[in-house]
Amino acid sequence: MSGTCEHLKEAGHFLSGYAALLLGCGATCIRIEKNVGRMARSCGLTADLVILPADILLTVRRADDSHISYTCTTGVRKTSISFFLNTELSKLSWLVAEGKMNMREAAEQVRGIGTGKVTDSRVMLFLVAAANASFCRLFGGDGVAMSIVFVATLAGFLLKQCMLADGADVRLTTFLSAFFAAVAGSAGYVFGWGTTPELALGTSVLFLIPGIPYINSMSDLLDGHYLCSFCRFMYAAVQTVCISLGLCGALLLMNLRIL
Amino acid sequence: MMFLLEIFQDGFFAAIAAVGFSAIAHPPRAAYKYCALIAAVGHGIRFMLMEYGMHIIAAAFAASLSVGMLAILFAPRVKCPPETFSFPSLLPMIPGIYAYRAVQALVLCLMQSEKVFFNHYLYLLAYNGLTATIIILGMVVGVTIPIFLFKRLSFSATKG
Repeated sequence: MSGTCEHLKEAGHFLSGYAALLLGCGATCIRIEKNVGRMARSCGLTADLVILPADILLTVRRADDSHISYTCTTGVRKTSISFFLNTELSKLSWLVAEGKMNMREAAEQVRGIGTGKVTDSRVMLFLVAAANASFCRLFGGDGVAMSIVFVATLAGFLLKQCMLADGADVRLTTFLSAFFAAVAGSAGYVFGWGTTPELALGTSVLFLIPGIPYINSMSDLLDGHYLCSFCRFMYAAVQTVCISLGLCGALLLMNLRIL
Repeated sequence: MMFLLEIFQDGFFAAIAAVGFSAIAHPPRAAYKYCALIAAVGHGIRFMLMEYGMHIIAAAFAASLSVGMLAILFAPRVKCPPETFSFPSLLPMIPGIYAYRAVQALVLCLMQSEKVFFNHYLYLLAYNGLTATIIILGMVVGVTIPIFLFKRLSFSATKG
């Protein structure tokens, strides 16, 4: 079986699907290449990957005869950023590389991982609100500002969760979440609460900043994956513009002129 | 003593922020405590360096380097990619207030008709925007350098 066209085809489809899933869950390009490369080598193959914004283009060749090859493309499976998925897929690549699992078994395993457990949405809501309130404290906010940020984040993040669950556009979701969080975050100014209302307002939208895509973008840039780096940067930049627009809208609505 | 307490307090809130922000990125449960620890150490280092007079850009870069190194150190213990710890641990160091002031200055800049006020807000926009951008760039480069320096260690952390 090893080395036949069927084997190449099967390996190609598995590896491109694997790479697409890894890219969709927010793995860096260098990790995708390393994981796919080690699995291919374990089967006596080499894999050449082209990582495009919406597709993975993969060519697998026999290591001993590069003229025998198979090329396929797979659309990127858009999932939210998931380090759990990234970790499980990376572990799986080592199992295949060490010969503890063949590609057919690995493909079955990938289907199982795809439905893996995620943090409960209510727990996540509380954790994010607490995180943003702590963030406010790190900037020097007082207890009142922290409380305002906690409530504003609860409102904004709950709206984000509901809209994304309903399949709303990500950019519209970010804009509206930022707008509502900033309106709630301006309570310190409106009611004269606390001594650091500007920190409450400024921090209220920061939970929406797409930090991981920005970091991934820089990692890809350092590794020479300029196209993917640019796409990730643009995605994050568009999200940031949406947050800024939401914040601007709230500042104009509440008629806040503070600097 | 007071200084130590301030560092501890800074680290404590950074740890809560890291755990909360990392939840959005769905890490494995075992990773949460390491995210908290690394964020606390990283933010504590930045706080200390800034207290000793270092500029925020250099302090953030140094702190993010330490975050990257610690992530590589802990990754094999939990069998997670180092990014699982290092990227969320970096989020509490994002200079959000500079970014917010830049956006605010942009709004006020557009609302001015007089040249003096327009120039003032344009200056604030450029100052805050540039500062935020350079801090973020420094942080991201700082956290990524150890991953590239210790490639072998970084990419074999999930080995069974």
